[in-house]
Formats: sequence, C-alpha cells, structure tokens
Amino acid sequence: MKKRNFWVILTGVVIGVAAIVLTALGNPGNMGFCIACFIRDTSGAMKLHTAAAVQYVRPEIIGMILGAMIVSMLTKEFKPRGGSSPMTRFVLAVVVMVGALMFLGCPLRMMLRIGGGDLNALVGLVGFIAGIFVGTLWLRGGFTLKRAYAQSMTEGLMLPIIVAVLMVLSALLPSLFAFSESGPGAAHAPLLIALGIGLVVGGLCQRARFCTVAGNRDAMMFKDFSMLWGFLAVIVTTIVGNLILGKFHLSFADQPVAHTDGLWNFLGMALVGWGSVLLGGCPLRQVILAGEGNSDAAITVTGFVFGAAICHNFGLASSGNGPTVNGMIAVVAGFVILVLIGLFNRERI
Amino acid sequence: MTSYIATFHTHFSAMRTHRTMAAEGVSARLSPVPRSLSASCGTCVMYEASEARLDLMDKDVERVVECLTPNGGYLELLRND
Repeated sequence: MKKRNFWVILTGVVIGVAAIVLTALGNPGNMGFCIACFIRDTSGAMKLHTAAAVQYVRPEIIGMILGAMIVSMLTKEFKPRGGSSPMTRFVLAVVVMVGALMFLGCPLRMMLRIGGGDLNALVGLVGFIAGIFVGTLWLRGGFTLKRAYAQSMTEGLMLPIIVAVLMVLSALLPSLFAFSESGPGAAHAPLLIALGIGLVVGGLCQRARFCTVAGNRDAMMFKDFSMLWGFLAVIVTTIVGNLILGKFHLSFADQPVAHTDGLWNFLGMALVGWGSVLLGGCPLRQVILAGEGNSDAAITVTGFVFGAAICHNFGLASSGNGPTVNGMIAVVAGFVILVLIGLFNRERI
Repeated sequence: MTSYIATFHTHFSAMRTHRTMAAEGVSARLSPVPRSLSASCGTCVMYEASEARLDLMDKDVERVVECLTPNGGYLELLRND
C-alpha cells in the first residue's frame, strides 16, 4: 500500500470508529460526526438561532480545529494565509449550508448515514457526485477565487482562539448559552470524550488532508483515486460497526434525523458538492484548513455558522417530516447564486 | 530528462501553466500536489524537461522543485510565497 493511501485509509477508519463510539455514547443516530449539524447546533447554542431542538456547543468541531492547529504547528505546517475572495467564500459557505440542511447533513454525515443503512443518503451521494462533477466543469472553464497571501500569526490564530474561548465559556458558564432539553441538540456524548475524539480526528485529517470532495474531484479531473480510499474506509467502517452493534437498518423510512424526499435529498447534496468544489474543499476540510491558519477557511466556517442561523430563522432547514417550501426556494436560489459566482469569477485560460 | 513539480496558489494558475507547457511541447500533466511536498490540497504540474523552464510559469506559481528520488526527495528551485 502506498504511504499516502495508508494515512487516508487510517483516517477514514478512525473517523468511522469515532463516529460509532460517539453515537454509542449519546450523539444522535448516524451523527457521530456532522460538520453542518454540529456547527448548526453551536450556532443555536450562541442564540444566533432559536430552534430549541438543535442548540449545543459541539466539542467535536472545536476539537477538530484545535487538533489540526496543534498537529500543523508540530509539523511546521501552520501557515497563516488569506485574502482569496473572502466575502465570496462567505456566501458560498451559506449556500453550502442551505444544501446541507436541506439534506440534513454534510458529506461526512452522508457517509455515516450510508453506513447506518439509510438509503436516502445514497440518493444524496448521487446528488453529491453530480454536484462535484458540475463544479469540476467550472474549474476546467477557468473559475478562480484568486490566490491567498501570507498573513500575520494573529490572523491565523483568530478562529482557533475564538473556539477555544467558546469551549471554556460553555463549560464554565453554561448559563450564557442555550442548550436543547430535547431533540438532537440534547443528544450528545460526554464533553471531554467528544473533545478528545475531535482533537484526534482533527489531527489525523490534517496529516491526511482528508476531504470528502477532493476524492471525487481528483478522480474526475486527474484519475487519482487516493482520497477516495478514505471515503470508502469511513463507509465500510461504519457499516461494520453498526452491524456489530445491531444498529444497521437498511431502509428509506424511519431513519434518524432524515427525511425521504428523494428529489430534495439529491438537490441538497448537489448544491453542497458544487459549492464545495468552488470553495476548494468540503465542510470538514474547511474546518481543518481553518485550524492550519487559513483565514479564508475561517471565514468559510463563519459563513457556515451564519448560514445555519438563517436556515433555522427563516425556516429553510428540513426536519424528519421533510423539506420546507422556504428551503426548496432557498436551494433553487443557491444554484442561481453558484452560477452567478461562477460567471463573475472566470478568467481566460 | 529531469522530473520537476510546480505548485501554484490556485488551480487556475496550474491549468494555465499546463496549457503553456503543452504549447511549448513540454511533457506535463496536472495532478494533486504530493503530500510530501505540501499540506495544501491544490493542483500541481508534473513535468519532464532538460531544464526547469521557469520562464513558462504563471505569475501565481508557488514553488518549483526538482525531483531527486521517486519517493520524495526534492531540490527547491523557485519559491514565491
């Protein structure tokens, strides 16, 4: 096995095991990890939205950012950079979050849902791949958000410091925050375990450059399948883990935190795939890059937080009952926004 | 012939350089940046030539290295942070 494949596969297996453990310890079903859902919960905990069922400061996300920061500092790969169309990235992040909350999960949770037997996530996967394919067409057509430049250490550390302070405040002064008493936000693994697992997964993802979009993008554009091994490793590990624990239920109906509307599951993930290619990486990858000092990724994570808030404040997010009309309109608007951003950021090759 | 790898600040810049090299008859291909070279997940141009042909690089080139061994020994020829 090639060394680069080893790290990617190891990371995929660890993510799969971590997700199974976190779910067994209290996280919602098929939601050991979900970048979109966990950022949405954290956004709610800070009262940026008031959906009572999804408010909790998720230690996993904070751990991943700090884990990536620590490992990148140890390996001298912490490099503050930024300035690559930050406001456009912010808008793209909002669009990606609209798609993710239409589907009810980021690409990572899509993989975990497949690993739990949720067939709706397979529909999402088809949409995700279709979206990535469209995104690669834009890349081939000359799409660019322009280059990033070296920034100060302060700029690179800003988001890691913010999330570290958030973690400490939420643990020591919980009354400042809103925490769900029922629903997915109330389902969570113990804080220190979740934080520790987040740290490990964040560090590994930094080493492996793990990205759910890059695997498919590289396969389509360069016939390079290295990163796809990690993608498969997550799914296989969670299938095995769920089978062992008796939590593998192959069906469309009655899946945890999921709906069965195939068209909007497809379109939601297509929006995520396309938007993520334009951003240069999936939501998980943005979290890791933010930990490495990339302030463009930090702005993108901030866009996820903002996007999650408007998704719930304006009724765009789906629920187990299905998508909302507002959410459908927002997804269509998201595709229009991606086309416009694509058109206005093209250069002649 | 010597093997070289050029990394870029943008995917677009890699594509542009690849196209320039193709027009100049340089044997080149686009590829994900090797992990041994960078933590970034961008696109690089791998090419073979008798000299480094730095004159063909797009303005947003990041690094150009000469491959000393197949498994990741590099000699840096250009750096543009």
